[in-house]
Amino acid sequence: MIKSHPHEQLLVQYATGELNPAMLVMIGTHVDMCPQCQQHVADIEEQIALKVLGERVTDAALPNTVVDSMLESIMNSPAPIQVRAEAARDYISLEGKRFALPATLARNEHRIGQWHHMVSKLWRAPVDIGNGEMLNLIYMADGAQVPEHTHKGREATLVINGVFNDEFNEYRDGDFILLDEHHKHTPQTQGEDCLTLATLDAPMHFTAGISRLLNPFSSLFFR
Amino acid sequence: MQSVIESPTKRKPMSSAQPDSAEYAAELLSRIAASRSRQAFAELFKHFAPKLQAYATRQFGNEQTAMDLVQETMTNVWHKAHLFKPDRGSAATWIFTIARNIRFDFLRKNKHRQYDLSADDLWPVLAETNESLDDDYALDDDLLLQQLAVYCESLPIAQKEVVELIYIEGKSQQEVADALEIPLGTVKSRTRLALQKLKELIKTDD
Repeated sequence: MIKSHPHEQLLVQYATGELNPAMLVMIGTHVDMCPQCQQHVADIEEQIALKVLGERVTDAALPNTVVDSMLESIMNSPAPIQVRAEAARDYISLEGKRFALPATLARNEHRIGQWHHMVSKLWRAPVDIGNGEMLNLIYMADGAQVPEHTHKGREATLVINGVFNDEFNEYRDGDFILLDEHHKHTPQTQGEDCLTLATLDAPMHFTAGISRLLNPFSSLFFR
Repeated sequence: MQSVIESPTKRKPMSSAQPDSAEYAAELLSRIAASRSRQAFAELFKHFAPKLQAYATRQFGNEQTAMDLVQETMTNVWHKAHLFKPDRGSAATWIFTIARNIRFDFLRKNKHRQYDLSADDLWPVLAETNESLDDDYALDDDLLLQQLAVYCESLPIAQKEVVELIYIEGKSQQEVADALEIPLGTVKSRTRLALQKLKELIKTDD
């Protein structure tokens, strides 16, 4: 049961395409996993369509001659290239385990790069969505801990598979978490591993103990 | 009701028979899908095109781009009407999501970013669906992998190790060479020998 959902405003911006690509993939993947948000997005699209395409247009902006020539050219146009629905590969593998990819990620499977071992029990694979934006798959093996940190920007995390917890809560498949510079947290896994999708606006800032030594290297986590 | 959608030649017998009514717009789409009805498309076009144009002009602030969006959206409506699923939402919503996708790609192309996410990557509104077929593939894929795993067991340990690293963990040959501290040439020859052996095993089993 997913208990942590994106705020409605994010769903509206997803439906209109007015988010940055990294967040569009994040929200799209959550929506794939969450029947409740699927329904919510469908309702939002219906409302926007009603607003955009239901309103009356007062001035006849399209003269009949233009309409006729557009109709002619459309109905005589060749059929566009078919877009195939099926993904090339709908799973990824790491450490001998196989994880199913939700539809949005599966469609973009070719953008997922190699896994890199970060520290102790953490692995990272970049998702190259162009635009110089940061989107990462983060794998936390059982018993992993990310040192306590804050963020200079927003950190969005989506659990793809497994469970992790921080000081505030426990997060499972489909849970979407949005944190900013006001939140300090220490994500960790206990008794189960966890695959997440994460985006960061700016590098992490480690706040506690010896891990502060990591700050000069926090771009390792960021990139 | 609206002057822009008035048919110049004749009026519909029923007052509800206007694309304004959700049922009627859906019916027009199904007529386009079923019989390529040019008359149904013209009617749908005359209703939605001016609204799309007003929306696109607000979005782009440029009349030519707005016209391009109208043209491309309605071209997809004409060719892809069979993808409209009345149980998933109204005709207006479907047309809006097509326009949303095209707007997204227009903005992307303006920035000359070929590799950036496309609208199809995000919202597969226009993807040909074939869900049952996908399931069959998935099943075959799994069976095949299980079968391959059995064959892999009969490979010499050194070859098996290389195959697993490359095909299961997705490492490059160079990465495997580094991880096992063996020359790249050795990785290549072990991979080649392993694949040869697997091919033979599969053939003899057939």
